[in-house]
Amino acid sequence: MRKTFLLIVAALAVTAVVGATAGARPTATPGVTAKSILLEGTYPLSGPASGYAPIPVGMGAYFSYVNAKGGVNGRKINWHYEDDGYNPANTVQITHKFVEQDHAFALVGGLGTEPQLAVRQYLNDNKVPQLFVATGATTFDRDYVQYPWTIGWQPDYEAEGSIYGKYVVANMPNAKIGILYQNDSYGNDYLRGFKAGLRSHQSQIITAQPYDLSATTPPAVQMAKIKASGADTLVLFATPTPTIQAYVIGTKLGYKPANVITNSVSATDAFLTIAEKSGSDIVEGSLSVEYTLDPANPIYNKLAGMKLYRSIMAKYAPKANANDGLNLYGVAKAWNVVQLLTKLGKNPTRAGLMAAARKMTFSPGKKNANPFLLQGVSTFTKGSFQYPITQVKLVKYVNHVFQPQGKLFAGRGALR
Amino acid sequence: MKRLGNPIAFGVLVLAVIAAPFIFSNYRTYQLAFVGLYLVALLGLDILTGFTGQISLGHGAFMGIGAYTTTILVVDHGVRDIWTIPLGGVVAGIIGLAFGIPATRFAGPYLALATFAIPLAFIGILKRYPDFTGGNVGKNLPQLHSQLGWHTNPSIWFYVVCWVVALVMLPLAFVIVRGRFGRAMRSVRDSEIAAAANGVSTAGVKTLAFGISAFFCGVAGSLYAIGITYVNPDTFPIDLSILLLVGIVLGGAGSLYGMLFGALFVEFIRISWGPALLNLFSRVHHIDTHAPGSGLVVYGVVLLLVLYAAPAGAAGLARGLAGRPAFLRRKEDPSLSDPGLV
Repeated sequence: MRKTFLLIVAALAVTAVVGATAGARPTATPGVTAKSILLEGTYPLSGPASGYAPIPVGMGAYFSYVNAKGGVNGRKINWHYEDDGYNPANTVQITHKFVEQDHAFALVGGLGTEPQLAVRQYLNDNKVPQLFVATGATTFDRDYVQYPWTIGWQPDYEAEGSIYGKYVVANMPNAKIGILYQNDSYGNDYLRGFKAGLRSHQSQIITAQPYDLSATTPPAVQMAKIKASGADTLVLFATPTPTIQAYVIGTKLGYKPANVITNSVSATDAFLTIAEKSGSDIVEGSLSVEYTLDPANPIYNKLAGMKLYRSIMAKYAPKANANDGLNLYGVAKAWNVVQLLTKLGKNPTRAGLMAAARKMTFSPGKKNANPFLLQGVSTFTKGSFQYPITQVKLVKYVNHVFQPQGKLFAGRGALR
Repeated sequence: MKRLGNPIAFGVLVLAVIAAPFIFSNYRTYQLAFVGLYLVALLGLDILTGFTGQISLGHGAFMGIGAYTTTILVVDHGVRDIWTIPLGGVVAGIIGLAFGIPATRFAGPYLALATFAIPLAFIGILKRYPDFTGGNVGKNLPQLHSQLGWHTNPSIWFYVVCWVVALVMLPLAFVIVRGRFGRAMRSVRDSEIAAAANGVSTAGVKTLAFGISAFFCGVAGSLYAIGITYVNPDTFPIDLSILLLVGIVLGGAGSLYGMLFGALFVEFIRISWGPALLNLFSRVHHIDTHAPGSGLVVYGVVLLLVLYAAPAGAAGLARGLAGRPAFLRRKEDPSLSDPGLV
């Protein structure tokens, strides 16, 4: 009985300590003080998707760089991010904290399709910007009428798929295609886009094999079926780990497709190098797309954007691996955020931020293009067109580096 | 009356629960609502692990079953969310019983391994039938909105729902563990052979305890879905099952009020204390606290420290404190220091 009382009293004490850290008072515009702007985001720093952890580091490096130059209209950017472990339940609770306790001005670059789907309605109900989510799911760009406080940033998966389809029509009209795709919204977005890009050439797909991300075994059966179908062009719409497995299993099965197309999420030098080191001999020559500069490829080193990127990383994130393109992705996105904030002037508001995001033109023509994206890539939104980045360049993996091929392709959603 | 637990202790808890939303911010109230639902889940798991001695590594999945029951009823059939809470418990309880029949024939660590299959299978099934469950993309529930008829913050509404349920389930747990069935459970925990020799159906007791604990977790899962407003397979990872087990160990397995601590830990270590400790570390030392996995290291260190300081959990610590100072000790009634009395 004493014990029970002690337990309850102690539980109350713990609760009091927990609650004692009250949040900051909301100001006229939440998250904005005379000297600072608070931006927050959720990222998987642990769990199966923790490979994306460099992205917020790159963003932080760029914000530090801007702050050192005096900030945005006299205000320093206060960048704060937390680990959600790619678990939407954590994303929801942390997002409530960002909005109700921290009073963030905007949530920036939140990562993952499902985690961001989980908080989209909440943020829209509370009129908090869900800016530049780090996912290519088409819904974040397409459904801007229903979710006016949400906008994506990178090329969407459907668009990327359609670009591969168009490429096949133009360059491999006789290819026999075998597809391995992840059986969820991610893989199906790619597949839908790919078919749309093929248009009348859809009969070139002789087999499409789904696999389940939760499956405990690698996609060996699927790869064997693709090989048996006689496909000479292997298309991988898979996340990094199954992609690496597919490369290795293909080689072990003695499968030698003439061409391999790999979606950009998995097509980084780091991932493909792992596939090669694990014994795959079909990695060389893989096709994919890029839209940012690639720090692993020395041909970009003389560009001003790459020089700036390297100097920012050296000074503000010296421990990070600057050759990892995910850092550059973060820097490029942070650049875009700073451009919008600058436009808001002395009295930034959340509505103003969304209005600026809905009408962006950062293009080579206006000489204000994002310096961290490939030359010629614009960031553009206006009216009913809400897909910020749509241009990509085909790249081919040669000698451990992706080499750009030809000119830029454009795509937006799947169906054009 | 005694079977419902100590009425004074319960009264203090009720007063504290009523006072909390007036003291804390809306966001903290939202978090304390989760403490309430975790309390329900931990009470259930404690009945199985603390009182019957059966370890389960799979009870996060029963929360998931409750959550999906609520989600599917609310989203696809338009049922009002609070009516689905008992249904979530019943569905999880039935599945728990069905699983308990074969599984509880395993003893000790073998049962733990068998239960480990539950969350694995659960995630697989969710993805196998996307038309029914929403698959990987999951399902969005309606946002929290106050249903009390007055201008309450949605977080406070959710807090009220969670704690009303928790304050019903707590006396219910006392009834279960203090009755005839509770004695049977404890006899199975302490010696299966002795229990069987005295005519206790050990398999039956274990199976029923499994079903009851699944019912509690299903109720908690329903509340979880209402509060998170979203479910998908990633929402119920295997970690959740392990976190629940950690919660009852830290709270003190075999103590019901100790679960208050376990619930506080389960909620706050992930969302508040972990990041705060990381901040502290990064100020004190040149550690890259944003490196992948550094949160897990903090979590592990905290766990080890707590278990070092209080190997029998918060309840054991309280027992030790209550026992030592002479002025706190009750001399006339030795039965009150009986640890089996909760």
